[in-house]
Amino acid sequence: MLTWTVVGLLAIGVYGQRVIGATALDTDRLPRRWHAVLTALPLAIIAAVIALQTLTSQRTLTVDARLAGVAVAGLCAWRRLPLLVTVLAAAATTAAVRALV
Amino acid sequence: MASEERLKGNLLGPDPNRLVLSRGDTATLAVTYFTAGLAVSVLHVTQGTDPLVVIAAAFIVNSATSTLAFAAVATTGGSTVAGVMSGWLVATRFGLFAAALGPRLWPQRWRRAVAAHMAFDPSVALALREHTDDQARQAFVAAGLWLCVPWWTSAVVGALIADQLGDTDALGFDVILPALLLAIVWPQLRERSGQVVAVTAVMLALGLVGFTPGGVPELAGGGAALLVLLRPFRTEPC
Repeated sequence: MLTWTVVGLLAIGVYGQRVIGATALDTDRLPRRWHAVLTALPLAIIAAVIALQTLTSQRTLTVDARLAGVAVAGLCAWRRLPLLVTVLAAAATTAAVRALV
Repeated sequence: MASEERLKGNLLGPDPNRLVLSRGDTATLAVTYFTAGLAVSVLHVTQGTDPLVVIAAAFIVNSATSTLAFAAVATTGGSTVAGVMSGWLVATRFGLFAAALGPRLWPQRWRRAVAAHMAFDPSVALALREHTDDQARQAFVAAGLWLCVPWWTSAVVGALIADQLGDTDALGFDVILPALLLAIVWPQLRERSGQVVAVTAVMLALGLVGFTPGGVPELAGGGAALLVLLRPFRTEPC
């Protein structure tokens, strides 16, 4: 259960990290090869986020209807279908699997 | 005339006048974050949080993963301190995103600081796909607004009508965000270096689930970005 205090503390910590990230770094002073790392960083984290949101529940590995939905999303992305079609197909697949199983 | 313009476009790289995000892209962001906002608000309200607090959290914390991480710790009997730490930890990725994109946005740090509130997974990923800094900035601002405004709206709606909405997971809402993220990073997955980074990140993250606090698997996955330092996966000459 969230309280005003908790929300206040979360807001400070989350925005604080965003601001530090956005302002602290001066890429001109960063060696060139580290630019590539910085560019690859969001991909790496997002790949991890996708896997965790698809395959974990309450911090344990779980295989359920979400995997089917994300697999369909991958298929749609591979066929270069529009983003909106992709996310709706994913949700419909997961909902259908949940309704049937 | 038309061919001359096309030639100019080719010589100068991507057409600087083209819209960085298509209408379809912005509609998808709006739908995704509207549904996510509904689902998150309903979850918090059904767990007993005051609807007003849920609404405030959407605006000022602006990170569903942080409030959900707190709720996950709290519902499994963890302390408030542990819950807040967990909420901060899962948001560390937003700081890293802001660091990756910040220098491409504006030279003035105060502008970056204001815009940093909109540093989300898709807004950063869409901005980093652009070739020029101008386009990256446009993509980031457009994507940020097209996801924040629907997300705040639906957080308010969801908090007020949570009792009537029922189980949003039955509609597959919980798969919309990972599906969107997968589609956004897909172009990078067509390249060898992108595949290696992504697969390594997934294995690192899933390998740490269960015995590390929430947020750690995501950050460990981020460590896979270091692979681009290795010779076979270098994306640019150093």
